[in-house]
Amino acid sequence: MESLLSLAPRFGKAMLVTLALGLSSALLGALCGFVLNALRLRFTRWLSRPYRAYIWLVRGMPYLSQMVIVYFGLPVLGLTLSAVQATVVSLAFYSAAYFAEIFRAGWASIPPSQLDAARAFGIGRAAAFRTIELPQALVFSIPLLANQTILVIKESAVASIITVPELTMTASEVVSSTYTYIAPYAMLIVCYWLLTQFIALTARRVMKLIAPLEDA
Amino acid sequence: MSAPDLLARCLGYAPQLLDGAVTTLYLSLIAVVCGFFAGVFIHVLSASHNRLLAGFARTYVSVIRGTPMLAQLLVFYYVPTALGLPLPGVMSAAIGLSLNTAAYQSQILGAGFRSIPRGQIEAAQTFNLTRRQALWHIEIPQVVALTLPALVSEMIDVVKATAVVSVIAVTDLMRVGQQLASVSYRPLEVYTLAACYYLAITTLLSLAGRALERRIARRT
Repeated sequence: MESLLSLAPRFGKAMLVTLALGLSSALLGALCGFVLNALRLRFTRWLSRPYRAYIWLVRGMPYLSQMVIVYFGLPVLGLTLSAVQATVVSLAFYSAAYFAEIFRAGWASIPPSQLDAARAFGIGRAAAFRTIELPQALVFSIPLLANQTILVIKESAVASIITVPELTMTASEVVSSTYTYIAPYAMLIVCYWLLTQFIALTARRVMKLIAPLEDA
Repeated sequence: MSAPDLLARCLGYAPQLLDGAVTTLYLSLIAVVCGFFAGVFIHVLSASHNRLLAGFARTYVSVIRGTPMLAQLLVFYYVPTALGLPLPGVMSAAIGLSLNTAAYQSQILGAGFRSIPRGQIEAAQTFNLTRRQALWHIEIPQVVALTLPALVSEMIDVVKATAVVSVIAVTDLMRVGQQLASVSYRPLEVYTLAACYYLAITTLLSLAGRALERRIARRT
């Protein structure tokens, strides 16, 4: 118990690193995924095939293999990234595919008749996108977005392999400097669990806040 | 760097990468099969009237789903060693992956179990089938057919999750890729090639899954 407490400050700091890494990657990934889905909607004809190819590529490979391509492979082409940069870039590239699919589902959840109605009222396509589709699709997507953010935080553990000083790396460092295994690894599991529970809880709060607005 | 050279090198890497792919595949297979039975067991626990058992099952699923596979793998590799029971890497990997997918599969199967009408279980009781017989002969076949798409997608996730076992010195596809990259000094092509092997495995699995779904759909 005492050893657990003495580890707390180090793990607390590492937890913040993991949270920052996960949230910034998820935010970047969600933005890219959103733009991707919007472009796919706007230029369905030209983009639906490249879009599907991108989704197939990213979802068919483990995140770890994408990360090592970015970190160890891209320098061959003259693009050298630091470990943190490589993690954020690869994690955003990877999660953008999942986020894009979430937004696709969000837009698919809206009955097409709403767009017909909007057109009948003389509302332009861009205005309909912004004021009719966007709010509904976002509300639909919140639980899925939170879930994907949790997945991104969990994938970020892999960054310890390229020595990003996040939770998993910190646990390994404590293990190799103290030769104790159980306390650091127990701490590691607890920290990740707290982080993911925190995200899940926040999402549930947001849903509760929004629920009354939806009925109105 | 000409194209024929690149092709020749890629063919040169093939024997080792295929070896790694075989390890990845059999680890995934063990995990999916063991995880299925463990998943059924966890579902039975979570559906039991014993509060303690149900609570244990819920906590198990929450912790496994709330923490990274890599962290779980480190626990299953180093903690037994610390307790004086060192396990070989492959063993820890198989146990870790099985226990991980068990949590996800229990959730998938749970949805299937809930969709089976109560009447069927009551009918089974009237015919003097034991609870266990009803589970394996009446519920499970239907649940598997119902949840097949989700189970196939979980299988693909397991294949992708196996990549982290390279960290505990299991020579899977990813590890072979790392070894080849450090010997050849050509990380870009080796890692891209390894990623293509993963892509081939997951694509084949998803095609096979879809074919199986169509066959089941035709039969019912």
